[in-house]
Amino acid sequence: MSDHGHERSGLRGWLDRRYQITPLIEFLRHKEVPKGPHSMVWYYLGGTTTFFFMVQVLTGVLLLMYYQPGEATAYESMRYLTTKVPFGWLMRSIHCWSAHLMIISLVAHMFSTMMLKAYRPPRELTWVTGYIMFALTLGFGFSGYLLPWNKLAFFATSVGTDLVKSVPVAGDWLLHVLRGGPDVTANTLYRFFALHVVILPLLFVGLIAIHLLFVQRQGMAPPLGQKVAPRGMKFFPSFALRDLLLWLFCLMILLVLSVFLPYGPGIPGMEWELGEKADPFEPAFPGIKPEWYFLWEYQLLKEFPPHLFGLEGPQVCLLVVTLLLAVWAIIPWLDRQAARNEPSSGFSDFGWGAIVFLTFLTLKAWDIGGLESVDSPASLKVIARTCAWWTLGLGVIVIIVRFVFYLDRWFIFTGAALLHVALHGLVGLSYLTAGAIAASLAAAAVGIRILSARKTRASLGGVV
Amino acid sequence: MKRLLPCTLICSLALAVSAADKPPIPEKLAALLTATNDTGQPVITGEQRTYFDGLNDHITALLSNATETEIITRADHLASILALGLRPQKMEVLLQDNCVLCHTDPEVQKPETLFSLSPPTGSNSHLNLRHVVDDVHFARGLSCSGCHGGDPASDKLEHTHVKEWPATGRYKNRAWVLSFCARCHSDPVFMNRFNPALPTDQLAKYKDSPHGKLLIETKDPRAPDCLSCHGVHGIRTAKNPLSTVNPKRVHETCAACHANPSTMAGFKTPDGSPMPTNQVAEYRASVHGRALLERGDLGAPTCNKCHGNHAAMPVGLSSVSQSCSLCHAANASLFDGSKHKIAFEEHKWPQCAKCHGNHGIGKTHDAMLSGGPRSLCVECHQQYAKDNPACTATAEYFYASITHMNEGWNRFGAAAEHLAIRGLDVEPIHDKLNELADTVKQARSHIHSFSKNSFDQVAAPGNKAVQEISALVDNANSEYRFRQLGLAGSIVLIALLMTAVYFKLRRLER
Repeated sequence: MSDHGHERSGLRGWLDRRYQITPLIEFLRHKEVPKGPHSMVWYYLGGTTTFFFMVQVLTGVLLLMYYQPGEATAYESMRYLTTKVPFGWLMRSIHCWSAHLMIISLVAHMFSTMMLKAYRPPRELTWVTGYIMFALTLGFGFSGYLLPWNKLAFFATSVGTDLVKSVPVAGDWLLHVLRGGPDVTANTLYRFFALHVVILPLLFVGLIAIHLLFVQRQGMAPPLGQKVAPRGMKFFPSFALRDLLLWLFCLMILLVLSVFLPYGPGIPGMEWELGEKADPFEPAFPGIKPEWYFLWEYQLLKEFPPHLFGLEGPQVCLLVVTLLLAVWAIIPWLDRQAARNEPSSGFSDFGWGAIVFLTFLTLKAWDIGGLESVDSPASLKVIARTCAWWTLGLGVIVIIVRFVFYLDRWFIFTGAALLHVALHGLVGLSYLTAGAIAASLAAAAVGIRILSARKTRASLGGVV
Repeated sequence: MKRLLPCTLICSLALAVSAADKPPIPEKLAALLTATNDTGQPVITGEQRTYFDGLNDHITALLSNATETEIITRADHLASILALGLRPQKMEVLLQDNCVLCHTDPEVQKPETLFSLSPPTGSNSHLNLRHVVDDVHFARGLSCSGCHGGDPASDKLEHTHVKEWPATGRYKNRAWVLSFCARCHSDPVFMNRFNPALPTDQLAKYKDSPHGKLLIETKDPRAPDCLSCHGVHGIRTAKNPLSTVNPKRVHETCAACHANPSTMAGFKTPDGSPMPTNQVAEYRASVHGRALLERGDLGAPTCNKCHGNHAAMPVGLSSVSQSCSLCHAANASLFDGSKHKIAFEEHKWPQCAKCHGNHGIGKTHDAMLSGGPRSLCVECHQQYAKDNPACTATAEYFYASITHMNEGWNRFGAAAEHLAIRGLDVEPIHDKLNELADTVKQARSHIHSFSKNSFDQVAAPGNKAVQEISALVDNANSEYRFRQLGLAGSIVLIALLMTAVYFKLRRLER
């Protein structure tokens, strides 16, 4: 095809005659990234997540050339790979580091989208596809963890999959399906292998394509309050080169971490030394914990008593978590203010409240401040108190920054989350009692706020 | 709910039927079970009542019979029997034994003949009922009459002590106890009915032992008889942790006499010196004592492992290595084939004990071989083998070799830890370190050959292992340096690329 009515020559012309690429190039040439009052850095997080995913695919394929699933071969092949295969250790180390960095980047991307309200119409489905990809990424983490078939992985998977039992009615059946039998065996390993290298990647790549297609069709979300950015940055080459610069920096960090800390930083839930081979006949060792991104849920489960409201504790916990995650998924439809392109401090506050909630649980799961006998009642009190002080410190800083710099006046959710932390960690109430008090107060405050807002709007309407 | 209802009905019916099957409790027994004390509290506690309700019909009938025949007439008497919480077989033995039933009745017995669960302080410890029912003889159906005579089925008061019991002076000369216990314990046919694995030669051994001679020939009242070590009532098998002859308690049993200066006064050792009384204290602090008493290692020896049980006697000079060889077979064998054995015999030195001590054996250390102040070899050789400097040189050679291997193991072990944290493959290093550790153990054992050639045969692989580990550690360090270099190169390349992208961006946006 022609650019200005005449045919191009060379490779571009050759391709153009066959695939009509000029419109695509023109689209990319004119594509702009909106600039706003906030930092541009939030626009790059999707790119870094994609970069880490590409690293995962590349190193995953290289690992696949040596990995042999099976009870007698999985651990042995991983051991061979990391000790005998040239640069095998590096591939595994990069794969593990990149997995964690991908999740960190993804979480940051999700929260930045949340705070900037980029999910508002017409981008609801971009949020939903991103949300599903986040779930799939956690699935990648969980399924990949078992593959080396070492002790830690085996028991963590046994404990982790056991939670599925709490699903009402179909729990036992689901557990059977997930494990390929009543217990974690080689069948589970085959299933998780298929999930990790075939099913999840296919779904993930499909979703990335849809997610990117949405972003390309709709463009990146302009800052709140502006329908179209007054001044944009050219995607090609300005934004793309900046992306490349950041990717190169990420690669550099990834390599340094992989070489100097080949088994992770040594934080519980972020270490991957191969250790000893799994032995299903050995009893599970105490204090086994999941990866850091599941720690909040692990801790929440511990906070629930064995029985509550006639149900089993884990069932109630699962119900609460499902409700919270469901609310998170449909936020674009709940946030009516953002839909009207108006500032929506309430949902920003909801996001910060979620961060406080997750931080406190994760810190507690790390037993920060714990005494020598970590599980003793005295130690649990000290842990709750220490973690409460840390979380309260973080929460207060966030509130001050939002109040002073962002002129936010909505602190109900953050306040409730901090009250929950203080009542539990400092006053000594049980986690659930403190949570119930904080949630009731938050619900009442939100109700009053909504009612007064309606009244104001009605009176304004009357005046008009 | 729909399912629960029939289940509840069936269970209730089953309970009702089983309750109907159980015969009613006879009036006298029922009265005792519900009796109250002066303060109105039930004498039979809830726990005792639960135990009673769980008894089978046969035991309940025996209890009922005891109340009907008025052998048990008081609720506190019944309570003391139920409080024992015996399993059915033992309870059956007890309830068919009128000796026990009578001697547990506080109404008819004087304090000096009343058996109870908590005898008054200062009373005879033989009166503890718990000891009686826990006794190994009672468990096999041998109760009071087995030793004291009489008919346990009779309800008439009569004592016909067996004929082996001296009529008078039983406590003054206790030699009769030996033949009394031997009636059964020296009879293989009789003992076979109870425990075929139990030896029946205890008395024969005892008679030849210094203890036996002291009791039988010298008639020394301080000499121990069977009961001194095994107890009177409450004799338990050696496997029972409460037994006075359990491995963990043997030293206490021996110490009752051997650590008591007044009991041991006048006794002499074979060399004529007064018998010491610090053996048990030394043993407690020794490697053997700590292994057994602190770590609970039942393989560690206690007094009887070296001195014997019924034939207990001092370990003779020439038999020390035989005693030690029961566990330390390799070392003893090497010593027996060495020149030192002859030299030690000439000097009448107690073999192993000469260097390691006897009751207070401490942890051995390599410095015992060195030329330093803690050396044993040099000390002896300077006094007895001045003319043979080669011997001292051999000891120093042993010390140097073992120290070299040990230092290598420590140094390379720490290096392997560091390399493992850095992600290097340390499995070959660990394999060699394990090999080296085995060699060091064997080399330490082989110094007992006191021969350089014999020692070198086991130490040579260790020295080779040190060299091999050193090479492996060097290789791993080189690999790590290569990784660092590779990383530095990659970073430079990426940084260059980043710089190029940055300048390109600046040029484009200028």
